[in-house]
Amino acid sequence: MMRLKRRTVAACSSALALALGATACGGGDIAPAGSGGGKLDGSKVVVAGVWSGTEQKNFRKVLDAFTEKTGAEAEFISTGDNVSTVIGSKIEGGNAPDVVMVPQTGVLKQFAHKGWLLPLGKKTEQTVTDNFAPVWKNYGTVDGDFYGLYFKAAHKSTVWYSPDALDQAGVKPPKTYAEMLKSSATVADSGLPAFAVAGEDGWTLTDWFENIYLSQAGPQKYDRLAAHELPWTDPSVVRALTTLGELFSGKDLVAGGRQGALSTDFPSSVGQVFGADPEAAMVYEGDFVGSIAKEEYGKKIGDDAAFFPFPAVDGGKAPVVSGGDAAVVLKDGRNRKAAMALMDYLATPEAAEVWAAEGGFLSPNQKADPAAYGDDTTRSIAKSLVDAGDTVRFDMSDQAPATFGGTKGMGEWKILQDFLRDPADPKGTAAALEAAAAKAFKN
Amino acid sequence: MTALTTPARTTARSSPAVTPPSGPRRSATRRRWFVAVVFALPALLLLGVLVVYPMLFSVGRSFFDATGTRFVGGDNYTEMFRDPATLKAIRNSTIWVVVAPTLLTGLGLILAVLTEKVRWATAFKLLLFLPMAVSFLAAGIIFRLAYEEDPDRGVLNAVAVGVHDTFQDASSYPTARARDGQGLAKGADGSFRTTGETRPGRTVALGLVGVQPDELPAGAAPARRAASATAAPDELRGVVYLDFTPGGGGEQGKVDAKERGLPQLAVEAVSGDGKVAARATTAADGSFRFADLAAGPYELRLPARNFAPPYEGISWLGPALVTPAVIGAYLWIWTGFAMVLIGAGLSALPRETLEAARMDGANEWQIFRRITVPLLAPVLTVVFVTLVINVMKVFDLVYIIAPGPVQEEATVLATQMWLVSFGGGQDQGLGSALGVLLLVLVVPAMLFNVRRFRRSQS
Amino acid sequence: MTVITDTPRQERQAWPARLTRRLSSGVVQAVLIVVGLIWITPLAGLFLSSLRTERDNAGSGWWTALAGPGQLSLDNYSTLLADTGITQAFWNTVLISVPATTLVVVLSALAAYAFAWLEFPGRDALFLVVVALLVVPVQVGLLPVAKLFGQLGLFGTIPGVVLFHVAYGLPFAIFLLRNYFAEIPREMLEAARMDGGSEWRIFAQLVLPVGRPALASLAIFQFLWVWNDMLVALLFADSASQPLTVALQSQIRQFGSNIDVLAPGAFLSLVVPVAVFFAFQRHFVQGVMAGSVK
Repeated sequence: MMRLKRRTVAACSSALALALGATACGGGDIAPAGSGGGKLDGSKVVVAGVWSGTEQKNFRKVLDAFTEKTGAEAEFISTGDNVSTVIGSKIEGGNAPDVVMVPQTGVLKQFAHKGWLLPLGKKTEQTVTDNFAPVWKNYGTVDGDFYGLYFKAAHKSTVWYSPDALDQAGVKPPKTYAEMLKSSATVADSGLPAFAVAGEDGWTLTDWFENIYLSQAGPQKYDRLAAHELPWTDPSVVRALTTLGELFSGKDLVAGGRQGALSTDFPSSVGQVFGADPEAAMVYEGDFVGSIAKEEYGKKIGDDAAFFPFPAVDGGKAPVVSGGDAAVVLKDGRNRKAAMALMDYLATPEAAEVWAAEGGFLSPNQKADPAAYGDDTTRSIAKSLVDAGDTVRFDMSDQAPATFGGTKGMGEWKILQDFLRDPADPKGTAAALEAAAAKAFKN
Repeated sequence: MTALTTPARTTARSSPAVTPPSGPRRSATRRRWFVAVVFALPALLLLGVLVVYPMLFSVGRSFFDATGTRFVGGDNYTEMFRDPATLKAIRNSTIWVVVAPTLLTGLGLILAVLTEKVRWATAFKLLLFLPMAVSFLAAGIIFRLAYEEDPDRGVLNAVAVGVHDTFQDASSYPTARARDGQGLAKGADGSFRTTGETRPGRTVALGLVGVQPDELPAGAAPARRAASATAAPDELRGVVYLDFTPGGGGEQGKVDAKERGLPQLAVEAVSGDGKVAARATTAADGSFRFADLAAGPYELRLPARNFAPPYEGISWLGPALVTPAVIGAYLWIWTGFAMVLIGAGLSALPRETLEAARMDGANEWQIFRRITVPLLAPVLTVVFVTLVINVMKVFDLVYIIAPGPVQEEATVLATQMWLVSFGGGQDQGLGSALGVLLLVLVVPAMLFNVRRFRRSQS
Repeated sequence: MTVITDTPRQERQAWPARLTRRLSSGVVQAVLIVVGLIWITPLAGLFLSSLRTERDNAGSGWWTALAGPGQLSLDNYSTLLADTGITQAFWNTVLISVPATTLVVVLSALAAYAFAWLEFPGRDALFLVVVALLVVPVQVGLLPVAKLFGQLGLFGTIPGVVLFHVAYGLPFAIFLLRNYFAEIPREMLEAARMDGGSEWRIFAQLVLPVGRPALASLAIFQFLWVWNDMLVALLFADSASQPLTVALQSQIRQFGSNIDVLAPGAFLSLVVPVAVFFAFQRHFVQGVMAGSVK
């Protein structure tokens, strides 16, 4: 379908996905029985997740490696975009998968609250404590129980640019937000709008905001705002919106103008920078921009498409906003033993390295060998993520109820789109955000 | 199981249901009931278990909160109407219900009648049938792309822009602009004017930015020499140049060595009383010259036509047009349905009646109006009612075609219901309440059908 | 029909009438050609897109392929078909669509006949309830039916998927057929009943033949809806019983329009419905009734 975005998954695009089957439901290939003759011979674990296409193929390789090692068969079924409904109906029908890869913290919480999940075993927990920064374990814990193992991560603080375009304008990748604004103005003077902004996809706008907010207001406030302990009308929010508004309203800083940005979807925004006929010099989004530039537009990562870390705002620390897919074990699954063995395996650096070698993957696992990544750019993104350690923060909109943080045409997505259309009133925007958040968090 | 004929039955056109069975016939009546039950039961059983039961469950569910454990009475209903999105959805659903089934039934009827008159009817029917065979997702994506604003990718805007540009030339420097505070300011009409006054005998350099070097006309030459030319006393000279050195390093507001002029740009000299005293067009190096000017202060103006933004086509998926646009896609998909069903009805019409009318000298319009349409009424009703109900349920097309920023403008009840119960909301209480609302709103369509049904029976 | 051949009729008419008919026939053809062109354009777009790479599709409109056919290739199709699960999925789709269509047509024809021509208490009220069920969206049934099927052991099986489709196809089918059957001239039925025909025989030998255009239309639409379904299959089938729609889309990428997957997928899955259309189309125009009324 059009814009599958993990974070939206729980929910927002579900209509599409379910109704039309927008997404994948992977073939039922069964991994060959392990030749390794492991201790789990004859058992079978069924894993469900949103992955399709390449991601599904690559994850199957991880499952094959698991089979090789333990002898347990592993089958992957794709739920399409709407994990909650598919898993819910499978549980109702008495045919629940054993393990689910949940695409965001909000869904993890939702599953835990519904009582669908089994806390992970001591062994897995210990491996996670040893191999991951504590923040990852915290995001996998609901009400004191550890349920979710973050296997695949995204790094959402990367600004991608066309080196040619910056050279043409004679500017270097900036270190601070102020520098970025200045360089952007220079780039705009050179005749190329500075940024491609995918205003049609609300989630790119929330990511913009989150990076600025994390750096400007700091991680403590970020956590409180994410939990809605801090109201959105807080001055720190208004300040971050004002900062974002400077970029949106700058002269020719946004390709196609703000109105044009509102009708640009995320893949097109990457195309505006890396397509055949560039219309912008830079595009901000996660590490996956690189894969799109490479696969859809044939750019060589590192040469024709490079990134710089999202710059620090107003003297803060440069932000690292992240997110990821967590593996959880369902209570109603038929094969707990194999499921737990799979969790143990997914917590090892070895499992991460299998996918890292295939590309399009970042592991939050500190022990994973950087040499496993296929190219230097990915390696440096992975390093930045692991080095950030406990200062990593999860995407705020992913943590919120989906009506606020993850639904097309609603909540934060919609309000930030309105803000992009007219950034003149950050206070009013903050008030609108608070009203929507209050409604969503009450539920 | 021989059907016995009652006296009532032998009288044509009397209602079969109104004859009360009398004494000796009771067992026969029972047997007829039994036959009827055998005919209808399998279908009714399936419906009861798989459709009615979930529906009742859903009605009950609408009185509970999101978790499904707490009874909240009518709260979901009040909540539903408090949300402005619901009201928008009701408005849009109304537009859909009024417009789409009528257009579709009309179109289907006309096409069904017309295809009867051509030899390639089958080919035509197949063509109109194909969209139904394409999945909704693929259809949604086709139209999403067709309505795309970028004329390089959206076919409708490609046509719109193509037509527009044949009649009107594009301006030469749509993206050019002046830096703030460097001698030029943008006027309300989109032109650029000098901020300080200037007089004959001077040479001015007007710097613009925002033009990509490879977008300059091929002959554009460096502007530096022209910028330092000396003007005669009654002459006002100048140069319009691109104030940006590729690769950086240039000084703002100064004509650096590598900076080129902007050719083919219209320049006007405006005298103190606001009248245009002279006009010129820049040369390859961006230079211009007004000779024989009367003394006095002048303002130089780069008229707006130099910078007119290119025509971008129509914003099909903007807030104003999004609902008609989605309805258009829906028509493309469903016309085949209406046409095939109406065609099937048409083929069942008694030919003799039509032929007799023709022989009596009725023209095609009269036949259509007086005979075809009334005879087709039951079929038209089926098609119309089915479409009304289907339109109430449509949400996938809306969800795919409407972009995020205008989703709210395009939303319909079914989209709301889906979003609330399975989408972001995961609140099946509220979602069920919306479902009940949907059910209630279809009642008029039902009643319409009942009334027709009763009439045809009596 | 009595396909409406113009010739015999024209012979009976005077020449001015013939002239106007010629003229109007020209207008009719022109109108239909215009409509046809409007309808074919999006399909042509989809087809050309299916032959272009993702990169081409992202960069330029499909119509540019008309100027440079060099960019067209069957690569998207071969990529799709390289998925080994496709053949199995194809058969699953057939195994789901054929019984679902047959059952809907048979059950609804029986019920529609009962609603139109047999008497039983509460008939009209019941019919209204059935029509009202048209409005119940499939989504309403998902979770309750999943639970029920789980208890019956039908969850994750092809019969489960089929039953679900049948149940949700019935209201429209009954509604459609009842209204068609109700138009059968009463005299015909009365005559058959007088001759001592049982209801079964009347149904099989009179109603079904007369209702052929309607039955054919119903069958083909029901077939289409089941063939293109993804939602029900996604929830109610497991990986061994998944249909084509589900399998085709496992190749979708996370970002991008995915038109290079969806377009060839759409055309691959179009083949069977088109074949079905051809198989049924002659029944659309089979006016048995036309000759039988006097």
